[in-house]
Amino acid sequence: MSWLSRLRNAIAPQRLDEDLHDELADHIARRAASLRSEGVSEEEAHRRARVKFGNATQIREQSREIRLASILETTLQDLRYAWRGMIKSPAFALTAIGSLALAIGANTAIYSIVDAALLRPLPVTEPDRLFRLATPQIQDDEKATASDRTSFSYPEIEMFRRAAGNSARLALFSYGGQIDIQIPDSDAPYEHAVRQFVSGDAFDILHVPPALGRVFTTAEDRVPGGHPYVVLSYDYWQKRFQGDPRIEGLRMQIWGKPYTVLGVAQKGFSGVEPGKFVDIWMPAMMFSTPALSEPGWSWFQILGRLSPGATGTQLQARLQPVYSATEAELVKRFPTMPATIQTQFRKRSILVYSGATGASSFQTTFARPLWIVFGVAAGILWIACANAAGLLLARSTARAPEIAMRISIGASRARLVRQLLTESLLLSLIAGACGWALAQVAAPAMVPMLSSDSDPVRLGLAMDTRALLFCAVVSALAVVVFGVLPAWQASRAQPMRELRGARSHAGKLRLGRVFVGVQVAFAFTLTIAGASFLFSLKNLFSVHTGFNPHNVAVVDVSTELSDVSQKPELNVFADDLQRRIEALPGVESAGLAQRGAMFTGRESSYQVIVPGRRPPDREEYAVSVSPRYFSALRLPLLAGRDFELRDRDDQLQSPRPTIVNQALARSYFGAADPIGKTFQTPDSGKLVDHLIIGLVSSAPFDSLRQGPQAIMYGVERGDNYLTLYIRSRLGLGSIVSMVERESRATARACATPPPWTHSSALRCCGNACWPASEASSRCSACCSPPSDCSAC
Amino acid sequence: MGTNSAQTQLDLLVLTVLSRRGPLHGYGIAEAIETLSADALRIDEGSLYPALHRMEEAGWIAAEWTITENKRRARLYQLTRAGKKQLASETERWTAFSAGIARVLRHA
Repeated sequence: MSWLSRLRNAIAPQRLDEDLHDELADHIARRAASLRSEGVSEEEAHRRARVKFGNATQIREQSREIRLASILETTLQDLRYAWRGMIKSPAFALTAIGSLALAIGANTAIYSIVDAALLRPLPVTEPDRLFRLATPQIQDDEKATASDRTSFSYPEIEMFRRAAGNSARLALFSYGGQIDIQIPDSDAPYEHAVRQFVSGDAFDILHVPPALGRVFTTAEDRVPGGHPYVVLSYDYWQKRFQGDPRIEGLRMQIWGKPYTVLGVAQKGFSGVEPGKFVDIWMPAMMFSTPALSEPGWSWFQILGRLSPGATGTQLQARLQPVYSATEAELVKRFPTMPATIQTQFRKRSILVYSGATGASSFQTTFARPLWIVFGVAAGILWIACANAAGLLLARSTARAPEIAMRISIGASRARLVRQLLTESLLLSLIAGACGWALAQVAAPAMVPMLSSDSDPVRLGLAMDTRALLFCAVVSALAVVVFGVLPAWQASRAQPMRELRGARSHAGKLRLGRVFVGVQVAFAFTLTIAGASFLFSLKNLFSVHTGFNPHNVAVVDVSTELSDVSQKPELNVFADDLQRRIEALPGVESAGLAQRGAMFTGRESSYQVIVPGRRPPDREEYAVSVSPRYFSALRLPLLAGRDFELRDRDDQLQSPRPTIVNQALARSYFGAADPIGKTFQTPDSGKLVDHLIIGLVSSAPFDSLRQGPQAIMYGVERGDNYLTLYIRSRLGLGSIVSMVERESRATARACATPPPWTHSSALRCCGNACWPASEASSRCSACCSPPSDCSAC
Repeated sequence: MGTNSAQTQLDLLVLTVLSRRGPLHGYGIAEAIETLSADALRIDEGSLYPALHRMEEAGWIAAEWTITENKRRARLYQLTRAGKKQLASETERWTAFSAGIARVLRHA
């Protein structure tokens, strides 16, 4: 019997039973037929045949045992033999196991990350009925490939809900963000937590029940600012409150307002963003009031559940007309918008994607790099397999006399192949176990590489059955890849020639060359890929940023007011904060920028209309900065003057004092001195006059790949979201704690709510930098192919 | 199989029948043994099968499935190379053994 059918017997014993039954039945039928031909009656013939045969059941049992015992015995024999062989040549065994274990470990570790981040469905019922919405990004350069826009505004979700009707339910999920909270009241110390705003029906739509107390309902969707309640995640409840069952009704202080805990969400549910663990859910109604009515304020993702019977295509067909109508309306309100952008708005489609695995910017940013790294790991596995195969082949050459001897004393070829495959299987089993252990350590160690101080990435890296299954499958595949060919080759040994000592190994040599070829090919590919990452990095090192990024800490300060109208006290807050920071010992200089700051991924841009010329087809970046911002970044002021506080008052009048950089001056004013020149920008349907008071050197704005960008600078006015650029030789940690202390002191002095901060140093590729908080998203923009993120 | 047990004898018979008559199914083997020994060797027909399966596992005989004219599945056994060697050594052993017995019977 071939080893294949033995394997089949071991896996499916009922097949064996069937075979035995058929064979015995055939015998009895033949005997009966022979008796009948002697004239015995049909019935009698059968009876006698059965009697002559003996106890069929017992015979079947005996045969069955012989078969199964032999399978077990030979397997054990093979295993013992394989083990002895490995002990006898430990160098071979260690090399083969070591290289396979590394490769299997790397693959399992990366798989577990890919699984947690991209593949594993949300822990809710029927995750495949979930969908998320997105639209294509509007871009200056139509050929550029930006990822989809997934943020929507409150008027948009209301419109989509109406349009979807009964075909689907739509829920709102803001992006998880850090907040400082106090438990139970304002006398308690501040502590960090991750918050997410959700619509009241979000838990119901996802089918997430409470583990304790209750979760939000549509009752929490009514009054803006009127639902000061929170729901805790199970994980946070366990960690922060040790699973205290009296959590319901607990009070906590968020942004100076008291909130009450309603309950705890189901165990295992930590939000809809893989990569982020939400601690506290807050009703969307508690976010800034204007965010609930302003169409321009996109601040959340839309995730929903299709009604039974409805499909994504049907939903898309319902949403598209209303979406097209609003986008057309938008274009009408901004008639000066460049034509290419207008077309993009008009043609913009609404996309319905599967929401089974949740929706997160982490997925958008890291999907491609993760798959690339996964591919690299697979390449390494191939190399390891080819390596092991080469080793096995060399070993079989050394063992050729032994194998020849065994063939000549009657060992069957199949038996030999099976023996050699058992050896490979044993190698692979041990390597798989080592790889599994390696992955346990490696996977958690890799996550921080994707993470940053202010945007911590946390993945549920449960080394679960999925990962184990993957590890086992990879190990088994490895056996097939590295074991089969050498075993087949070895079993073809020609005993006579071997025993005579002739060494003609043409076949082996050929096969050996194939393995070496495979190894070299994969190693070459990986080396080239690695080298191109390095070159890309080296190019970025040499990009001239125009400013000095060393020793600059970037700290975001936000007051997350529920009202963002530009209140005078916010001006006072910003000025006061800047002065306090500048006065700190160890701080050389400090500047502030408002929202659309350099390398933060936030931007606003306008057309620059020079009097007497046709409006251009493109828009230029506009950044609001404080006085002394340029000196803090050491961005040289080439002509004119820096902003002063009095410029802020002129900002509301016409013309606005404006500083431009060289790139902008060159493209709009040529070689002429730009100081004193004027231009206009369209804003809310009107034209705003600008007077150029200063000229600074050029700098890239959003991506180092794009080179220096044209930028116009206005003077910063108080805002809820400020970015501090602090030049200091102090460590980031002490800078952050100083900023936290000073911003709270400033807030008290200005009677604004306590701000929260989140910080990062500028991370640099040589001269090229961005805040570490943005390193993740920036990497994909600046270093492509993006898998050199860890290097960034 | 060092002993001259009943099991070894059955093995020898089966191997011999297969070597002389070519591929046979279990029934054919049983019938051949029966006729050739002129019913002197009476075996339970069924007990042939565990023996066949044991020898198959040992690699002396190989089997394959065929379909009979009555559309039944039947198993056809034939001798392997290892089986031929086994047959040779068993025959030798048996000849020596029976010669020994004969000598004892003659000269005792």
